[in-house]
Amino acid sequence: MEGTADRPVVVELTGIRKQFPGVLANDDISLQIHQGEIFAILGENGAGKTTLMNILFGLYRPDEGKIRIRGQEVEFNSPRDATTLGIGMVHQHFKLVENYSVTQNIILGLEPLKKWLGLFPLVNEKEANKEVARLSDHYGLSVDPRLMVGQASVSVQQRVEILKMLYRKADILILDEPTAMLAPQEIEHLIGVIHELRRHGNTVILITHKLDEIKRLADRCAVLRRGRLIDVFDVGTTDTAKMAATMVGQAVDLEIEKEDRPFGEPVLEVEDLTVMQEKNVAAVRDVSFTVRSGEVVALAGVAGNGQVEIVQTIYGQMKASSGRILLNGRDITGHTIRTRIREGISYVPEDRQKTGLVVDMSLSENLALKTYGQLPFSKRKVLNRAAFRRHAEKLIESYDIRSGSGEATIVHSMSGGNQQKAIVAREIDLGNRLIMFVQPTRGLDIAARAHIHRQIVEERAKGHAILLVSLELEEIMELADTIGVLYNGVLRKIAPAEELTVEEVGKLMLGVA
Amino acid sequence: MKQEMKAKRLPRLRSSRLLIPLVSVVSTFAVLILVFVVIGRNPLMAIYSFFQGSGLGLKPSYSKSSSMLTDFLSYLGILSPMLLGSLGVVVGLRGGLFNIGVSGQMLTAGFLATILVGYSKLPPPVSIPLVLLIGLAAGAILGAVIGWLKYRFNVHEVVSSIMFNYIVSFLTGYFIKTKYVDPIIRSSKQVAANAKLQVIFQTSSGLKLVVPIGIFIAIGMAFLIRFYLERMAGGFEIRMVGFNREGAAYAGVPIRNVMIRTMLISGALAGLAGVTYYLGYYSTIVPKDLPSLGYDAIAVALLGNLGPVSCILSSALITIFQKGAVYMSASTGVVREIASLVTGILLLFSSLGVSMRDRSRHYD
Repeated sequence: MEGTADRPVVVELTGIRKQFPGVLANDDISLQIHQGEIFAILGENGAGKTTLMNILFGLYRPDEGKIRIRGQEVEFNSPRDATTLGIGMVHQHFKLVENYSVTQNIILGLEPLKKWLGLFPLVNEKEANKEVARLSDHYGLSVDPRLMVGQASVSVQQRVEILKMLYRKADILILDEPTAMLAPQEIEHLIGVIHELRRHGNTVILITHKLDEIKRLADRCAVLRRGRLIDVFDVGTTDTAKMAATMVGQAVDLEIEKEDRPFGEPVLEVEDLTVMQEKNVAAVRDVSFTVRSGEVVALAGVAGNGQVEIVQTIYGQMKASSGRILLNGRDITGHTIRTRIREGISYVPEDRQKTGLVVDMSLSENLALKTYGQLPFSKRKVLNRAAFRRHAEKLIESYDIRSGSGEATIVHSMSGGNQQKAIVAREIDLGNRLIMFVQPTRGLDIAARAHIHRQIVEERAKGHAILLVSLELEEIMELADTIGVLYNGVLRKIAPAEELTVEEVGKLMLGVA
Repeated sequence: MKQEMKAKRLPRLRSSRLLIPLVSVVSTFAVLILVFVVIGRNPLMAIYSFFQGSGLGLKPSYSKSSSMLTDFLSYLGILSPMLLGSLGVVVGLRGGLFNIGVSGQMLTAGFLATILVGYSKLPPPVSIPLVLLIGLAAGAILGAVIGWLKYRFNVHEVVSSIMFNYIVSFLTGYFIKTKYVDPIIRSSKQVAANAKLQVIFQTSSGLKLVVPIGIFIAIGMAFLIRFYLERMAGGFEIRMVGFNREGAAYAGVPIRNVMIRTMLISGALAGLAGVTYYLGYYSTIVPKDLPSLGYDAIAVALLGNLGPVSCILSSALITIFQKGAVYMSASTGVVREIASLVTGILLLFSSLGVSMRDRSRHYD
């Protein structure tokens, strides 16, 4: 990781400023990125990382400031201009056509043609397949050019996106939160790919808020906070704590204190649960486990291996094909969602905007989303607005939910972190004995994440039973007392956390152990 | 960054509640003026004649039995079904369901009330509540069936309500033509005065003042529906389901019940619109003719931004053009179909505004 400083500067940003209505997204940012460097951009949600990269990729025009690519001043009107200059970007959400093959996706818009009978233009897919296979080999991407993208895993899809950039001769590659969706082994592979990219002289810019990845990958790291460039670090000589402190502007306590104490009686018992999806495919097969009072049970697994279905079945959104679900010893398998809520299940769902909230309604209405029909929120079916307001103000205060206009704020306008805080506040406030969290910190920054983790630990200390589903192994290792690993809908292993290592869990998740 | 931007956008979203209807109305008037200028009429005179025809402006002369007041009462008579119909559309849309079958529900309610009460000799204190009740029930049942089809067989409400429009239109048409036809006017026999939703006063100067009962019901309903949607647990559920069905299900709301209830209320309001239309403003049913008012009600609801009380204003405005068109046509020689043009343009502008507002959310 040495000796990049004397290489030529490929990207030079000078005094970049971007104002959105009411928000200064980028304020006088100047950066120099060298050829063949892995450059990380670190910052909390809303720090302006993505805005800055969207400017470099031609999606936004800066209000002020200059962009120089390889020493030449440029002005981008659209991503097309950036692509011509060899800049490529992989967004957090991939932009692929599912029922096209890998090659078809890659050549889309740049199809190599051959003339049939010297007259009719045809897409030369054979040639394209060869070229894609060559590129894939060259960079160690191991992607099959003929595979249907819809059948490829997330990690393969990501590599297809990278191939797409390489096929377009990009040598400045921007990756937006590339590891957010990957399993540990897949992250390893990606890290290998990124190193390989650099070895061939490409410049890689990483947007991330994961410090350990920066430590392992990057040569240098720029830290943004509230739109301003705070510092640029040489990663090799800076410790993680310093980077974290710079990112949030203060020292953060990342350690979670977990008290050791014996678990109580079982709160949730899942017995031989099988859940069928359409076409008689079992999403969950014969899964049994118990969550006791004061225990955090975490279900680990790569996305789509049945963990969400298990939670949805416990909550009543999906039907169990066979098996039983017991809450506090009582069978609730056939009960409606509303009954289960009353019987004591709280649930922080994965998709906060589509499921956990009604984003077009106000914060106070959302905080009473499950209790509007009871006293004090309504009396003889008439809503008591004052009760809504009081309840909301109490939760806003104690859970530090920030919004534009307090309880009357339309939730749509709140930041993701505060939306999540609102859901967590509502679910904990229900006072239920079982609380299920699915991906509770997805997309949240360090401070918000620590805040939610602390709440989970607090609920555990109160003797509540907690079921946690997360795709982030780090989160699971940090919080869980008991870890269950799911693969293809089967609970491959369930054991106390201290008996499992990250490597073991990772292997079980991929079905290789 | 994105989120903070949204926060700043909020005031603009709020103001769009007023802005969209206002811009729609102003641009519609602009188009209307342009149309009159192009066809060579004085636009201000023409527009004023709409108001004169609705009893909101003094005509140069009146016949013996009429005055500006009688014109205005007649305007209120047709305003009532318009407002009730639009309330039906509002309740549906707030619950995420598009009740495009208001016409069919109106016709069903009007037909049943006509044959069951309209030809009877019951005194008004009995017949009037009975007519209202039949209207409510007939619309409610038809609406609930549409809601039930949606939840039971996942039949889209737009498809089933359009189908019901045809079924009802042909079915009532058949019965009217075979059993209840008045051979001279070729539509159903006139309903008796004692069954009509109106109170008649004779003034000493020989004016006959027909006060429509429907207008009191309609305005009362507007406030009642607002109270229900905004302040009652049942309305809270309808709004939740309308905004986010998945979120509502997650919160434990019984979606199916709410869907049926939404369509039931929507249909009941349309049924009330039907009886105030066929046993109020009119007293006869033209066979196989769906009232276009049931579709105009959609424009009214959108122009009123789906607010029950705002619909009082938007229906008042659209009814001016609908009702005043006859006099406008007589006094300026322009065809009265121009009223439909105005409604269409208003609908176009207000739905354009709504879709632009929704789209603007995706760009932050």
